[in-house]
Amino acid sequence: MSTVAIIALASAFVTHATAHTPTASMEPALLTTLALALGDGAIAAADGHAVDAAHAVHSTSGYADVGPLHFVKAVANTDFAWLKWMLLAPLVSVILCGAMAMFKVKGRLPALFTVATFGLSTAMAIALYFQFGPTLFATHAPLTVPFMDWLSLTWGPGPFQSFTANLGFYIDGISMLWMLFVTVLATLIALYASEYMESDLKAGYARFFFAVSLFVTSMLILVMSDNLVGLYLGWEGVGLCSYMLIGYYATQPGATAAAKKAFIMNRIGDLGLALAIFLIWTNYGTVQYDSLFQAIAGSTSEAVQGGWSKAAIPFLLLLAVCGKSAQGPLFTWLPDAMWGPTPVSALIHAATMVTAGIYLLARMAPFYTVQAIGPEWAETALLTVGWIGCFTAFIGATIACGQFDYKRVFAYSTISSLGYMVMGLGVGTAFGGVYYVFTHAWFKALLFLTAGAVMHGMAGQVDFRKLGGLLRVPGFRLTMICMLLGCLWLATAPFSAAAESKDIILLTALTSHVQQVQWMGWIGVLTAGITAYYAFRVWFRLALGPVKIEPGADQHADHGHDDHAGHADHAHGGADAHAGHGAAHGGGAFHPHAPGFRISLVLTLLAIGSVLAGLPSYLAHSQGFNWIQRFVQNSSAWMRAGNSEEHGQILGRDAHSTLFIIATTVVVAGFLLAWILHAKNRALGDRLRASMLNTTGLKWIPLGSEHGWYVDQFYNAIIGVPAWLGAQLLAFTDRFVIDGVIVAAIGRFPGFVARVFQPLYTGTVQSYALTMAGGIGLIVAWVVWVWLSGGAS
Amino acid sequence: MTLAVLLIVLPLIGAVLCLGVSERAAKTVGLIASLVVLAAATLLAFEFPAWTTGTFWPNEEGWKLFTAFGVEFRLGTDAVGMLLIILTAVLIPCSMLVSFSAITQRQRGFYAQFLFMESAVMLAFLARDVILFYIGYEFTLVPLFLIVAIWGGQDRRPAAIKLWVYSFVGSVISLVGFIYLAAGHATDTGTPINFSVQTLVEYGQTLPASTQWWVFLAIMGGFAVKVPFVPVHSWLPLAHGEAPTAGSVVLAGVVIKIGQYGALRFAFPMAPEGALALAPFFAALALIGILGMSLVCWVQNDVKRLVAYSSIAHMGLALLAMFAFNVVGMEGGILYMVNHGLSTAGMFMCIGIMYERYHTKDMEVVGGLMQRMPVWSVFMVFFAMASLALPGLNGFVSEFLCLMGIYTADAGMKTGFPGILGPTYAFLAALALILGALYVLRMLQKFVFGPLREPSHGHGGHDSHSAHGHGNHAAHAIQDVNFREILAMAPLAIACIVIGVWPKPILNVIEPCAASAVAPYVKLIERDLANPPRATADESATKTTAAPAADKGAIQ
Amino acid sequence: MITLASMGSVAPLTPAMPANIQVTLALAIILFAIGLVGFLTRRNMILMFLSTELMFQAAALAFVAFGRMWMDLSGQLMVIFILTVAAAEAALALGLVVLLYRRKETLSSEAWAELKE
Repeated sequence: MSTVAIIALASAFVTHATAHTPTASMEPALLTTLALALGDGAIAAADGHAVDAAHAVHSTSGYADVGPLHFVKAVANTDFAWLKWMLLAPLVSVILCGAMAMFKVKGRLPALFTVATFGLSTAMAIALYFQFGPTLFATHAPLTVPFMDWLSLTWGPGPFQSFTANLGFYIDGISMLWMLFVTVLATLIALYASEYMESDLKAGYARFFFAVSLFVTSMLILVMSDNLVGLYLGWEGVGLCSYMLIGYYATQPGATAAAKKAFIMNRIGDLGLALAIFLIWTNYGTVQYDSLFQAIAGSTSEAVQGGWSKAAIPFLLLLAVCGKSAQGPLFTWLPDAMWGPTPVSALIHAATMVTAGIYLLARMAPFYTVQAIGPEWAETALLTVGWIGCFTAFIGATIACGQFDYKRVFAYSTISSLGYMVMGLGVGTAFGGVYYVFTHAWFKALLFLTAGAVMHGMAGQVDFRKLGGLLRVPGFRLTMICMLLGCLWLATAPFSAAAESKDIILLTALTSHVQQVQWMGWIGVLTAGITAYYAFRVWFRLALGPVKIEPGADQHADHGHDDHAGHADHAHGGADAHAGHGAAHGGGAFHPHAPGFRISLVLTLLAIGSVLAGLPSYLAHSQGFNWIQRFVQNSSAWMRAGNSEEHGQILGRDAHSTLFIIATTVVVAGFLLAWILHAKNRALGDRLRASMLNTTGLKWIPLGSEHGWYVDQFYNAIIGVPAWLGAQLLAFTDRFVIDGVIVAAIGRFPGFVARVFQPLYTGTVQSYALTMAGGIGLIVAWVVWVWLSGGAS
Repeated sequence: MTLAVLLIVLPLIGAVLCLGVSERAAKTVGLIASLVVLAAATLLAFEFPAWTTGTFWPNEEGWKLFTAFGVEFRLGTDAVGMLLIILTAVLIPCSMLVSFSAITQRQRGFYAQFLFMESAVMLAFLARDVILFYIGYEFTLVPLFLIVAIWGGQDRRPAAIKLWVYSFVGSVISLVGFIYLAAGHATDTGTPINFSVQTLVEYGQTLPASTQWWVFLAIMGGFAVKVPFVPVHSWLPLAHGEAPTAGSVVLAGVVIKIGQYGALRFAFPMAPEGALALAPFFAALALIGILGMSLVCWVQNDVKRLVAYSSIAHMGLALLAMFAFNVVGMEGGILYMVNHGLSTAGMFMCIGIMYERYHTKDMEVVGGLMQRMPVWSVFMVFFAMASLALPGLNGFVSEFLCLMGIYTADAGMKTGFPGILGPTYAFLAALALILGALYVLRMLQKFVFGPLREPSHGHGGHDSHSAHGHGNHAAHAIQDVNFREILAMAPLAIACIVIGVWPKPILNVIEPCAASAVAPYVKLIERDLANPPRATADESATKTTAAPAADKGAIQ
Repeated sequence: MITLASMGSVAPLTPAMPANIQVTLALAIILFAIGLVGFLTRRNMILMFLSTELMFQAAALAFVAFGRMWMDLSGQLMVIFILTVAAAEAALALGLVVLLYRRKETLSSEAWAELKE
C-alpha cells in the first residue's frame, strides 16, 4: 500500500507545483488568474454578488468590516423531505443497538447495523450533494426543509412574541460539507471499530455502537438544524456521546474521571451557547438561521443598538467553541478524552465532534461583523477568536513535544490544529479554517487509527519509548507508512493537503493590515515548526531504530474489559501474548497482533482520503475554483471571508512564494531536529532531555511540557479545591447550623419550657387535680383582685 | 364530573379494602386499586374539555356538590391540575410496584397509606374551595408521616416529626392567609363566609397593595415550606433520606408539587401586588437555593440526600421562573413540575432498587454498579441525564423555558411581558447547568461507573428492617432489575423521552393556563415601570399602614 | 336560647331573684368543695369517683339556681346533660376501676402513675 501513498504524494507535488508556478513570476495578469483560481472571484464575477464591494471596503477599514452583508433568502423545499432519513437511519441503529445492549446480544450484529445505517446516511449525503449542490452553487440560496415541531411558543402577534425552534434542516455549503465528511468518516471508522472492538464482543460491543450511532445522529442534528436550539440539541447530544464513549471502559477510575471532566468542561461551553441563544433571541426575536441572517444583513453598523447584549454574543459563542473544540482555557479535557477507545478518539475527538466549534464559528460568522455588534466590538471579538486559537495552537504544540504517550501527542496535536482553525476564523478566512477542518479530519483520523492499530497490536502499549522499529515488524508496515503519511500531513509538509489549507490561514494572517493578526501569523509559523518536530518525534521513535516491543499491560488490562485482553479468541497467536500481562515483560512470549483486513482497509482508504483532501487546491487552477471554497462561499461564513483572497505582501515580498519558503524552512527545520534527536542519534536526544532536567533554570521546560504546563493542577488549585471546600462548608452549615442549631433551637424551645413545669407531672391523679384546683384558685384570685381594685368597671 | 369524585373516593375504597384483606393480598389489592384510579384519571382526561382553553372545568366556581360547615364541596380543575392528576395517578402504581419486595412488614397499612395519600392529593388538585384544598393538602401529610415513621430508615422518627412539624406549620401559615381573605370578603360584602377560590381570587386582587403584601407573604410563606425554599428546606433531605423508596417517589413526585401548585393556584392570583413586591425576596431565596443547594449536592455521599438537595435546587429554578411573570417562564415553571416529578421519581426508584439489594445509600461504600446491574445502570444514567436537562429529554424543555422566561423578564425586552428579574438572574440561575452536571456526574462516576465496590460485611445491621432481608444478601448474588422493576420505571422513562422529543402537545396545554396566570401581572408591572422608583416592600408596608382604612373605604 | 319568655308565660328578661339564691349557691359551693377535697385527699379510686360525682352535682345545682334566676330553661337543660354524662361516665369509670383493680389488686390511685415522664 505504501506505493499508493507515494504516488499520491508525487502527484500532489506535481499538481501543486503547476498551480504555484505563475505566482513566482509576479505578473499581474497571472496573479489575477490565481486570485480567480483560489478565490471568490470566479463566483463573484459570475453572479454579481456583493462580495466585490466587500473587497473595496476592506482595504480602508478595520478587518472586521467586510462591507454590506448580503444573504440570499433560504428556499423551503419539501422535495428534500427524505433528508430526515439521514438522521433517522442512525437513529434506527441507536434503537437496535440499544435493544441489543439491553438484551445482551453477543455478536457482530450491532456493528453491522451501525455500518449499514451510516453507509445509508453517507449515500444520502452524497445524493444531496448531487441533487442540491448545483442549485445551491447557482442560486446561493440555502435549502430549508421542515422536519418536526419541537419547541415553539406563541404568546402574542408581535415580532418578539413567539419563540420557534422546531426541528428542521438548513442546508447550505458548510452544513453540506460537514454532512459529507462526518458520514463518510463515521462509516469508515465504524468499520474499523467493528474489528477493533471485537475483544469486547461479550461486554460492551453493542453499547459502543449504540453510543457511536447516537453520536452520528446528534452530530447530524447539529450540522443540519435550521436553528440554534436545534444546534444546541445536537451540541449537547454529541457531548453526551463523548461522555459515554470516553467513559466506555467504565471500570477504570481514570476513564470515568476523564469522561466527567469532558462533560463538565463542555457544559461550561454549553452555558455560553445557551446564554448566547437567549441574547440572540432577545435582540433579533428569532433563533432560526434564515431570518436571523436576514435581520443582521438588514442592519448597518451605524444602527447597531443593544449595547452589551449584542456585543456579548460573539464572546459567549466563543466560550461554547472553547468548550467543544478544546480551545483556550477549556482545552484540558481533550487529552484525557483519550481514555476512550481509539476509534472514538479518531471519530469524535479528532475528526468530527471537536470541529463542531469551528462549524459554530463559521455558521455564526455574521455575529462577528460590524453590522451585528458595531466596529469596535467586532474587531475585538475577531481578535479574541484569533488570539484564543493562536495561543491554543502554540500551547498545544509545546505540550505535545513533551508527551511520551503517542496517543496523547496526537490529542495535543488535535488541540493545536483546532487552534489553527479557530485562528483561521479569527483572522478572517473562514475558507482557510473550514478547509483545514476538512483536511485535518482525514489525516487526524488516519493518525489516530494507526495509533489504535499499534495499541491494538501491542497490548495497549502507548509509551513510544517502549516500542521501536515497527516498520520492520511484519504486519505493521502498512500501519507505519500510513502513520508516516499522517505525520507528514500533520507537520504540514509542503504540498500536502494540510499545508494547502493551513497556508491559507497563515497567508491571510501574515498579509493582514492589522498588526496583531500578523503576530498571530508568525506564531502560527513557529507552531508549524514545532508541529513538524513532535510529529516526527513520534514517528521516528516508533518506526525506526532497533525493533523493540514491550507489550503494554497498563491500560485497561486489569479487568478483561480492555481492547486487547480478550484477544485470546483470535486466530492469531494472541493467546500466549495475553497469558500474563505483567509477567510477559521482556520475555519472548509476546507476539504483536497485526491489524486484520478491516483495519488495513480503513487505513488505506483514509490514507487515500488524506491525500485526496488536497485535491480541491490542486484542481483549483484547472477548474477555476476551489471545491471547498465553493462550499464556504455558499454559506453564512462567507460574509466574514470576503477578504480572504486579496493578499498583500509578506516582508516586502510576494505573499505566496515568501510564505511557501518560510513555511517549508520551518517545517524542514522541525523535521531535521526530530531526525537528529530521535532517529539518527537517540542518545543525544535522551542526553539533552536529561541535562535539561538537571539544570535548574531549564528544568521547567521538559517538566512543564510533559505535564501540560500544569494547567489542570492550576485549575484544581484555584477553582476545584476552593469550590469543593466551599461546598463542604455549605453542606456543613446546612446540616449542622441551619438544621442542627437553628432548627433544633426552635424545636427544643417548647421542650425547654415544658421542663420548667415538669415537676408538676407526677403521674398521680391527685396531683393533676391539685394543679387544676390551684389553677382555678389562681383565676378566682385574679378575678377577685380585679373586682376589688375596681379594674373591671 | 362523576369521575372527579371517583378519583377521590376510589382510592379511599381501595385503602379500606387493603386494610381488610390478608397481609399477602394487600399489595395486589393496592396495585389494582391504584390502577383503577389510573383508569379513572385516564377517562377523566378524555372527558376533560378544557385542555387547550386555559379555563377551569366545569367553570371557574367549580362543581358544587354540597355544603358542610360553611365549606362548599366544589370540584373543578384546569389543564395544569389535570396534568398533575395524571402524574399522580401514574406515580402511585409505579411506586407501589417498586415496593413489592422492599416492604415486607405491615403491608396492608403500607398500601392503604398510599391510597389514602392518593385520595388526599386528588382532592387537593381538584378542589375549588380553599378549605377543601387545605384538607387535601393537610391529609397528604398523615399518610406521609406514617410512611416515613413506620417504614423508614434508621432515623425515621426525627425525620417524620420534622416532616410533620415543618409541613404543618407551613400549611397553617397559608391557612391564616386564606382565612384572612375569606373573613375580609365576608366583612366587606356582608355575605356569609365563603371559601370559594374564585371569590377569594377576585376579592384578593381588589385589596390595597400593603394588605396583599401580607396576604402573599402568608400564603406563599406556607407553600414555600412545602416547595421548599431555602431557609425552610431542611426537612426535605432528612425526610427523603429516611423515607422508604415509594415514599420518596411520591414525596418528590407529587407532594412537594402541591406547594408549587398552591403558589400557582392561590398565592399568585390572590395577591398579585404582594407577589410583585415580594418577588425580589423570593427570587433571591430561589437563587440561593439553586446555587447553594447544587454545591451542597456536590459533596453529598448519601445518594438519596443528594437527590433531595437537587430537588430543592430544581424547584428553586421552577419557582424563580414563575416569578418572572411572563408566559414563557410560567410555562417553563409549570412544565418543570411535571418533568421534575418524572425524573426525580425515576432517580429515587433506581436508588431504592439499589438500596433494596445493598442496604446502603453511601456512594463511598457501594459503587461501580454497572458491572453488577447493567440494566439498572441504564435507567440510572437515563434519569440522571433527564435531571441535568439534556436536550432531547424532558428536563431540557422546561429548563430552557425557565431560563428564557427569567432572562426575558426585564424592562427592556420587547416580549410584551416586562418583568423584574432579567439577565442577571438568568446568568446566575444558568450556572446551575454547570453545577448540575458537576453533582450528577460525580454521582454517576462513583455510583454507576468505576471499579465495583460492594459492602463486604453484613449490610444494614443497624437497620430495623434488616431482619427480613438479612439472609438473602449473603446467600444470593446481587440480581439486576427484574421485570416488575422495569415495569415501574419504564413509564417514567418513556414519558421523559416523549416530552423531550415531542413537547408540543404538553406545551399547547400549559400555555393558556400560563397566560391566564400571568394576566394580572402585565398591567401591574407596566405601572411599576412607569413610576420608578418603586418603593421597596418594607417601605410600602410602613408607608401604607396608615392608609389601609382609607383604601378599604374606597373599595367598599 | 330557649327562654320562658319565648314560651309566653312570663314577662321577658325580668330576673326573678329569689332570696334563697345565695343559699342555693352556697350549698353548691360547699358541695363542690367537699367533692374537691375528697378527690384530692382520698386514694381510693371509688371514693375519688364519688367525689367527682359530688362536684358534678354541685355544678348542676348552680345551673338550676341560675336558670331559675334568669327564668331560662337552659339551666335545666344543662342539668339533664350533666346527669346523662354522669351516668355514662359512671358506667365507664366503674368499668375502668374494676379493670384496674383486676390488674393490680388494689384500688389505690397511686398504683397508677405511668403518665409520669
